[in-house]
Amino acid sequence: MKYLLRTDWWKWLTIALLIYVVIGGFMFTVPRLPILNETIRVLHFHVPMWFGMLFLFLGSVIQSVRYLANGRMENDIMSSQLAEVGIVFGVLGMITGMFWATFTWGEPWSSDPKQNASAIGLLIYFAYFILRGSIQDEQQRAKIASVYNIFAFAALIPLLFILPRMTDSLHPGNGGNPGFNAYDLDSNLRLVFYPAVIGWTLLGFWVATIKIRYRKLKEQLDD
Amino acid sequence: MIEQLRWLVYKDWQIDWRTRYPLAGIVLYIASLIITSFLSFSGFISPEVWNALFWVILLFVSINAVAKSFSQEDDRTLYYFYAIKPERIIVAKFIYYCIYQLILVAIAMLFYALFLGFPVRTIGAFLVNLAVGSIGLSAAFTMVSSISSKTNNNAVMMAILGFPVIIPILILAISNSQILVLGGAWSDITGNLITLLSVNVIIIALAYILFPYTWKS
Repeated sequence: MKYLLRTDWWKWLTIALLIYVVIGGFMFTVPRLPILNETIRVLHFHVPMWFGMLFLFLGSVIQSVRYLANGRMENDIMSSQLAEVGIVFGVLGMITGMFWATFTWGEPWSSDPKQNASAIGLLIYFAYFILRGSIQDEQQRAKIASVYNIFAFAALIPLLFILPRMTDSLHPGNGGNPGFNAYDLDSNLRLVFYPAVIGWTLLGFWVATIKIRYRKLKEQLDD
Repeated sequence: MIEQLRWLVYKDWQIDWRTRYPLAGIVLYIASLIITSFLSFSGFISPEVWNALFWVILLFVSINAVAKSFSQEDDRTLYYFYAIKPERIIVAKFIYYCIYQLILVAIAMLFYALFLGFPVRTIGAFLVNLAVGSIGLSAAFTMVSSISSKTNNNAVMMAILGFPVIIPILILAISNSQILVLGGAWSDITGNLITLLSVNVIIIALAYILFPYTWKS
């Protein structure tokens, strides 16, 4: 995170990747699949949101662990800002997912285990912000919020990665459904999909670095 | 260490026994919840609904029973702080609330079976799954209670912090006992039961590591 705050070559990379993703995502040829048809293009916008969210939450948890280890406020600021951006990504992922599901599964909410799990994941992080809001003392807020962040992230992992695989799911790769590779996530899609994951994730970190800087300046002004 | 643990567990028991009303209150809570659900569901309850309703009742019982575990410690915190290691406090709380929860679950099961019937055939597996699930519930809520006792709005925080965290345990336990209620056997649930146990172990281990930080603040 510190490295990202110091350098900015990766911002150029983000811009390049995202321009490529938007153009490639809408223009390249996609495989003709029944039901999916052209909606498969949402792949480049829906799935990377979840990847981005997970990386941002992971970053947030790492910062929380660091805060508990050394007690520097800086780490707590990073942790809370990363979580905030992560939740925006989660909401966007959910909206794009519901949009996609309307055209492929027939309704926005089909009680798919992964959908439910991600809704709960978002609940956890909304609760995290309510928790932060409800404690006045700064040191105590940072400490308690860090503890909850780590505890909740550990609960989120089985929810997102273990439980959906045990029951029937509409998502690819779950409940006996073949994963992406077995479908033809063909080379054309891959060509855009992997850059999209990297690009959107980096964009999330970019937003987070701006928010972190802003927070730090605000703290300095308050002191 | 064992001596201190026994002393801490005994102290929790004494507090509950001296005032009596928390335990009596929660038993009454169980009774009225079950009678209410009996009146709303009697006549058309299928085994699946029976199972889901029972777990929802357990969820509310355990959140109310365990919520007090740390909020009652406010005035004693400073004394413990100097006297006892935080790890021992959380272990003692785990032990006490685990037993407390199992007793309450037994009472709830009795009342529930009395009013709404007991459609389970593989009773052994059902009870084991019930015990493992409720230990998980009490452990997770004990940790959440230690977090929420630091905020100003304890009761609401307990619910919004606790419910999302508890869901993995709850889903696993409900799906296990649904399989059993619908006539499954031991072999149908072993995989899920092992996952449930490992989720419990993760939660207890994390709480053990993280608790000292909430305690010291």
